[in-house]
Amino acid sequence: MKTEIIKWTFRLLPALALLAAASIALATDAGGPGYSYGGTAGKSGNCLDCHGNAKGIGDRYFIDPVKYGHTSHARIGCPACHDTVGRGHPGDQLVPAKTGCLECHGDKAAEYARTPHAANASCGDCHDPHRVNAPNEISGQEMNRMCASCHKKESMAAKHARWLPQADLHLDMLPCTTCHTGSKNYVINLYIIKREGDRRKGVFRVADFAELEKIAAGKDIRSIIDRNGDNYISLAELGLFNRNPAYGHLRLQGVLTPETVTHNFEILQNRWDCTFCHASGPGAMQTSFIALPEKSGAFRRVAVEKGAVLDTLNGPPDFYLTGASRNGTLNNIGLAIIAGGMVMPVGHGFLRFLTRKNRKGKEHQS
Amino acid sequence: MSEQKMIYLQPTPVRIWHWLNALGIVTLCLTGAQIRFPEYLSMFGSYKTAILLHNTAGIVVAVSFSLWFFYYKLIANTLLKLYVPNREELQHGLLRQAFFYFFRYFRGDPSPHHATPDNKFNPMQKSAYLAIMFVLMPLVSLTGILLMNVTPMRELVILSGGLKFLVTGHFLLASSLCAFLFTHVYLATLGHSPMAHIKPMWTGWEEAEEHVEVKEQDRN
Repeated sequence: MKTEIIKWTFRLLPALALLAAASIALATDAGGPGYSYGGTAGKSGNCLDCHGNAKGIGDRYFIDPVKYGHTSHARIGCPACHDTVGRGHPGDQLVPAKTGCLECHGDKAAEYARTPHAANASCGDCHDPHRVNAPNEISGQEMNRMCASCHKKESMAAKHARWLPQADLHLDMLPCTTCHTGSKNYVINLYIIKREGDRRKGVFRVADFAELEKIAAGKDIRSIIDRNGDNYISLAELGLFNRNPAYGHLRLQGVLTPETVTHNFEILQNRWDCTFCHASGPGAMQTSFIALPEKSGAFRRVAVEKGAVLDTLNGPPDFYLTGASRNGTLNNIGLAIIAGGMVMPVGHGFLRFLTRKNRKGKEHQS
Repeated sequence: MSEQKMIYLQPTPVRIWHWLNALGIVTLCLTGAQIRFPEYLSMFGSYKTAILLHNTAGIVVAVSFSLWFFYYKLIANTLLKLYVPNREELQHGLLRQAFFYFFRYFRGDPSPHHATPDNKFNPMQKSAYLAIMFVLMPLVSLTGILLMNVTPMRELVILSGGLKFLVTGHFLLASSLCAFLFTHVYLATLGHSPMAHIKPMWTGWEEAEEHVEVKEQDRN
């Protein structure tokens, strides 16, 4: 009898192990799409009780709970990286250890280590692990601020101006990563920009959550553009936003953004050729999103109707990528005008040829 | 029997301006076509070459336009007389000239207009040049200047309706100028011989006929 029980136990063990693994997998999926560590609840222990209070802890050790809460790091929690914090903290005066980024991001670190950048800047020089967002959650301007901490804007503008027409425009409108990473796909993110201060004179910059929340007057800020609340921006909704006089101080700024950001940051030979972007084919300018700021500082994207940036009447009035975002209807109108100019030479010329005998001998009588 | 007489119709500054403009506008049309349709056209090599050539030709044509205006308005002081049709020309001259081009020309009748240094253009030419030189050229130049300087002139770009509006305007105006180019070149061959109107733009001198001049004086 005893041997029978042992035999059955061994037979059931693999099945039990599979059941346990499936339960764990289901539990971890509950955290939401894109993350495999579940939610943030309880993950950071009591750390944020002190470190989430700016006044109490001071700027140096302050962790913004809203921004941190949005990161994937919040889903593994503070102790996962700072594992030497003991019960005596902070009275023990020990500086807690930090886990290196390589432990989780080995592939990116290896890619980065092969670049000249690695000798000059570590991960932390560009990324703050307590507020880091996915590439499609940050604005182009914010991406460029990381680069600008070493690559000063003026010197970069001068360097690019040696070969790049309208270098200032390119540097203002594009994240550096658009050219300096090897992404295969690009989309257009449309950011709401707003004049600073006075409506007529202020400089345009990307509107933050608080500013748009005020304009939305208690509703979700998406409602500023997405009138019917279906989480999708149609051409008609885009046109209504662009033409709305109440939003005269708001505009849409289109930014050509890579879908994936690699860490090689190289000078790619095909980017010297302007047609990489300026003749990228009709498919390249079809996908666009409205990027809306969230309270955490990250941006969420709302899909816009295909080909919206090409639409002359409803599309964003300030986005135009020469040679790539031309409008098909306008092409036809332009060609019709040019063909109209041929009517006189062809039509008149034909009749002129047929009636040439009438003018024979009258060459000097006109 | 008619007697040939040469009249000095096109002064040197006008001829230099005309051919500079012609070269500039043809360059602008061709480079503009490559800039808008780079996947189909590449006659100037790289896209960047087309852009630089387009910008250079644009500046040359814009400066040349300013010189033209300056010359005719301030030096020759014949701008309005040459380019603005008078009441008689609007009421009768336009129809008379159109009737000539589309009917009487085919019968072999002479043109009702005879160019003189003070009255170089027929009423149809005057109206067309008025629209081209006082509306199309300034607008295509202004939109081009704004499109060449988007960042430094951002406020003006916004004020004028946005980048897309400017590009649309620039493209349609340029298409109209390109259309005019075909008509212009063709009409230039409608003199008493195909080169009769083209040659004076190179040499300055045009053949006129004594009896025609007399007729013109009699009419006035």
